[in-house]
Amino acid sequence: MRGRPNLYTDYNKESAIFSNNTQKSWFLIMVAFSFSLCFIASEYWIYLLTSSFLMSIAAWGLNIVSGFAGQINLAHGFFVGIGTYTSAVLGGIAGANVVGFELDMLLWLPLAGISAAIVGLIIAPITVRLKGLNLGLVTLALVFIGSHLFSNFKSLTGGAGLGRKVARLKLFGIDLENGYQIGDYFLEKNQILYLLSLTLCILCGLGIKNLVRSRAGRAYSAIRDGDIAAEAIGINIFRYKASAFALSSFFGGISGAMFFTVSGGVEPGTFNLLYSIVFVAIVVIGGAGTVLGPLFGAFFYTMFPAIIQLLLHVFEIGEQSLPLNLGQIERILFGLFIISFLIFEPRGLWGIWFRLRNYFKAWPFSY
Amino acid sequence: MTIFLQATVEGLSLAAIYSLVAIGFVLIYKSMDVLSFAQPALAVVGAGIISSLAVDRGIPFWLALILGIFLTGVLSLIIERTFLRPMVGEPVFSVAILTIGIDILLRTVLDSWIGINPRYLGDPFPTFGNFGAINVGGVNLKFLELTALVTAILIILILSVFFKRSKYGVAMRATSFDQEAALAQGINVGRIFGLAWFIAGILAAFAGFFITGGFNTLGQFSFLIALRALPAVVIGGLDSIPGAVVGSIIIGLTQGYVAYYQIPFENLIGFSLGSGFSLLAPYLIMFVILIFRPDGLFGTEEVERV
Repeated sequence: MRGRPNLYTDYNKESAIFSNNTQKSWFLIMVAFSFSLCFIASEYWIYLLTSSFLMSIAAWGLNIVSGFAGQINLAHGFFVGIGTYTSAVLGGIAGANVVGFELDMLLWLPLAGISAAIVGLIIAPITVRLKGLNLGLVTLALVFIGSHLFSNFKSLTGGAGLGRKVARLKLFGIDLENGYQIGDYFLEKNQILYLLSLTLCILCGLGIKNLVRSRAGRAYSAIRDGDIAAEAIGINIFRYKASAFALSSFFGGISGAMFFTVSGGVEPGTFNLLYSIVFVAIVVIGGAGTVLGPLFGAFFYTMFPAIIQLLLHVFEIGEQSLPLNLGQIERILFGLFIISFLIFEPRGLWGIWFRLRNYFKAWPFSY
Repeated sequence: MTIFLQATVEGLSLAAIYSLVAIGFVLIYKSMDVLSFAQPALAVVGAGIISSLAVDRGIPFWLALILGIFLTGVLSLIIERTFLRPMVGEPVFSVAILTIGIDILLRTVLDSWIGINPRYLGDPFPTFGNFGAINVGGVNLKFLELTALVTAILIILILSVFFKRSKYGVAMRATSFDQEAALAQGINVGRIFGLAWFIAGILAAFAGFFITGGFNTLGQFSFLIALRALPAVVIGGLDSIPGAVVGSIIIGLTQGYVAYYQIPFENLIGFSLGSGFSLLAPYLIMFVILIFRPDGLFGTEEVERV
């Protein structure tokens, strides 16, 4: 239907991943651009982009359970932690007081996701029974139980304050820890990580988009919009709530497994309450219940310290002359962003994007 | 037996602190269906205000205490007016996340003020008796803990009279029962929201003082103690004030007993539960109770319509 992008003649077209060729070509351009950034961008920006990709995977995970299925989950960081430590144990090197098996990434990456999903399923009998605020509070308890476990299983996590090395980057038996030579071009470790994260991010993004239009995705939305009504039309609440938690944890686990390979080490204190809240904030700021929202949110969250630094630099404000240090300014702005997005733009960055897009659709007409 | 009594006393004084924060939670929840995650932050901010008045400004301690508690109430009122009022009628989830944002704001400002070294509140409690404590039959009683216990009981009594007898107390009960009907009866529901937050702020500041007073000091992690009032509220039921008190007693006593009996118990079962298990115990109890009673022990079951 050339020239009539909004005319859908069958259901398959309406629910297609890319509703028209423009979207598809923009997607391909963005993907090609992102891959090429690996060879253009400086080390710092590669680091930021890698973090954003991995953060958005975790945020997509939380979005399944909070955005699509409408269940509050304040313990997403706990599942990320489970994934991190699974991968660290399976793929890391054994140390003086930590275990490690040095397995291939092909093994530790999926297993990190699966172990997190299994933990999600184990607690499902509790989380499924509860709803609303009580669920939020139980998941809050989970954060504390998780950080207690992480600090006390010293042989797995290295213990509080000490931490351990995470999984080694070894793919198809090739050790990528010190970069990789392809013909004349030498790929640094951070570039490899960037490419891997980007690939994962694209796969997960397409996966989420696909999930939304599947039977499960529709069931999640139905549960979110009214669980009793959903049950009445024959949706198995237990199965779908549990699967939402498991899927969400799976994404979190994968993201966690990759995320700490960037820095190389992980300390149990990382997975505290604020860490879990960050994911909630990313989903809220980005736009809950949308596919693009968590991606926007994750980029926003990861980039905005850099943006603040850039602004300070542009306006030539010295860090010493400020009453608060940079970390505190970031946290204050972070809190303010959560509050102001909830009050002024509940649909988040996605909502702003949506309105911009619609504005330019009919530009220069405002209707 | 001495250990048992000691654990009981410490557990009860913790329960007193928790119940102050917990009642604040319940008041806010009952009046406007908001679970305020900012409550623990308000408690430590209250302690911070008292400390800055008494130590930095040199105001006499008892005056600083009263002023600090009042100012925290006002701060709480301001938070309600600016951030919470636009959110009336929004989904509970969004509002809960919003209070997390407020919590981050408050604590970041407070943490930057506290700095690296913990702050004293300048209270005279450590000078009473033998370093702030007396010894009765082998049980070490801290004056601060005893004061917390007495204050909490007094406040609970005052509040129960307030809710039964006073005009505003009755108005608050009416509002929590049905907002629209209360509005139709001429109750200023907006003012009731503000009042609930004001009282909750005052209670939080009291708790904040008892958490950080004496040798306890105000540090960056003090709020975690106040946060443990959340499991107490959940155990008791989000919308029940007696429940909040009972929940606090359960949580406080558990924490006290676990702190004293963990090591003998670990020797009995043969493996370690990990250091700091007494701080985790409240959350575990909440977990177990919610499995059996999703609405808490005293909470009213929510009736849902499609």
